[in-house]
Amino acid sequence: MKTCLLSIALSLCFAAGCHKPSEPDKTAGSRPLVIGVSLMNMANEYIVSLNDAMAAEAKKSGLQLIVNDAQRSPEKQVQQVETFIAEKVDAIILNPCEVEASSPAVDKALAAGIPIVNVNSETQSQPTAFVGSHDEESARLALEYIAGRLQGKGEIVIMHGYMGQAAQIKRDRGAREVLAKHPGLHLLAEQTAEWDRAKAVTLMENWLQTHGERISAVFAQNDEMAMGALLAIEQAKKKDQIIVVGVDAIGDAIQAVKNGRLDATVFQDAAGQGGIAVQLASRLAKKQAVQRETCIPFQLVTKDNVDKFVKSATTPRAP
Amino acid sequence: MPCPPEPETTASLAAVVGGWLRRFGLVLALALIVAALGLAKPNFLTSSNLINVARQISINGILAVGVTLVLLTGGVDLSLGSLVALTGVIAASFAHPGDFFLVVPLFMGIAAGTACGAINGAVVTRGGVPPFIATLGMMTIARGLAQVLSGGRPVSNMNPDMTRIAGDVAGIPIPVVILACVALAAWAILANTRIGRHIYAVGGNENAARASGIHVCRVKMFAYTFCGGLAGLAGIVLAARIATGQPNAGIAYELDAIAAVVIGGTSLSGGVGSVGGTVLGALLMGVINNGLDLLDVSSYYQQIIKGMIIIGAVWFDRRNARGS
Repeated sequence: MKTCLLSIALSLCFAAGCHKPSEPDKTAGSRPLVIGVSLMNMANEYIVSLNDAMAAEAKKSGLQLIVNDAQRSPEKQVQQVETFIAEKVDAIILNPCEVEASSPAVDKALAAGIPIVNVNSETQSQPTAFVGSHDEESARLALEYIAGRLQGKGEIVIMHGYMGQAAQIKRDRGAREVLAKHPGLHLLAEQTAEWDRAKAVTLMENWLQTHGERISAVFAQNDEMAMGALLAIEQAKKKDQIIVVGVDAIGDAIQAVKNGRLDATVFQDAAGQGGIAVQLASRLAKKQAVQRETCIPFQLVTKDNVDKFVKSATTPRAP
Repeated sequence: MPCPPEPETTASLAAVVGGWLRRFGLVLALALIVAALGLAKPNFLTSSNLINVARQISINGILAVGVTLVLLTGGVDLSLGSLVALTGVIAASFAHPGDFFLVVPLFMGIAAGTACGAINGAVVTRGGVPPFIATLGMMTIARGLAQVLSGGRPVSNMNPDMTRIAGDVAGIPIPVVILACVALAAWAILANTRIGRHIYAVGGNENAARASGIHVCRVKMFAYTFCGGLAGLAGIVLAARIATGQPNAGIAYELDAIAAVVIGGTSLSGGVGSVGGTVLGALLMGVINNGLDLLDVSSYYQQIIKGMIIIGAVWFDRRNARGS
């Protein structure tokens, strides 16, 4: 059923996508540049924000985007890129589902001579250009904040995303680097809540039963889970004893930081990533040189600087 | 707990024990697991943790009670998880502070669930589409609708009154009270009403039921609609619990609900089963979940252990049902 719906959606998308560029073709040789975009998962809030930013940038610079949703399937993603190649798009933007499994998409585009820009996450194969942020850094910022608040001494628990996903692995790596630097910080328990708020509520409730009096901080690898942990801790009336930090700076988390409920989150710039990805793709399509890697830094969001982020609070992430 | 009353055995001790096991095999399995967890982790048997477990099973319990009726008719409902997301998003959209009275989001959530359930029922009965396919279609439609309505983003900024639905009253979590009411109502329907008896009859033998003048369509419509309504209720409870309407919530909840029903002794082919068993099944799954978290078992092993316990519990139950 899913595939069936998708193919209908795809054919609609192509019906809309193929015919439009041919219209200006008739009038003159200056048709708008067409950029094929394959997104990891449009059911994800961060990716939705990324898509919005790309659409806005494309509109501004008169480009045409054909946006496909790979629905987390690298196989679909490769097929979508194959279709873009067959359509002879001018450039491709890939928001990879997986490090390894989405790599063939990059290889095929390069072999066909079409420039390809990876946005937000990496693939094993080197694309023409990459724009994103280093996930390790987000966890490093979060853990350093916790270490600072606890003066390097305390018991923490970590909520992981889907085990084995690039973001989970990298955020874990970043967190462990900081833990290694602070021998006084002890990892009491770690478990996956699969990026999911409801699962995080349940997990936190269970942790409060076992380790309730000992936990001094929670690091959740995304804000959805941080919000879930926060709800469970508030329900148990223990928020004054436990620091909660997430990553992504989704709207809810920004609001919670502003209201003094959540201690901190880490901002990743979806608008910046999406906008730059489209600019890079457009320049590559015009055969102009671009920088190979554009890194957009993360920023720690706490009560002190939260006002700066309230406006742009539409950028969460949970691959 | 197989539902049709067993003929009274007046024979040997073995037969008495066998009959007892047949009725209470699941209770015994649950007691064994609880005892084992209590020994392994003293925190498990504290009243605060037991209340915690009760709160955690309530959403799965509500869904499982609803799908019990559908499974009893010999059908299945795969759309539950998506309905939870859709109704949660709808309820949350009407639950911004100062917008409406609390009854509006509650009504909208339950109404949306009931409507989707009725569509499931109509597609199955009038359209003759197999339940697996009909509800699989609804599963993706409802998920898509939830994403369309929410724009793919969580619907937040919830009225605190709404989040109180997931809170406690006199130390007892309100979701647990809701589950208890739902289970009692479903039990009363199945045990004491004509439609309840007809549900068993349709699941037992559809042709015989039709021949004896039962409106099979009407019975099935009732089961799917009731199940959809309860999915709406579960969606509201979940939205209240996580203080948002999440378009991605509830993925695979239908499978947990069906597992609870089957662990509870309801036959996947219909006609045999009970709401009491379903609640026990949900409890068993909740206890395992909570116990494994308390024991800090790695999530990789948790999945393996949960799968084995689900199969083992049903195996144990069915062996005793067959044996003696």
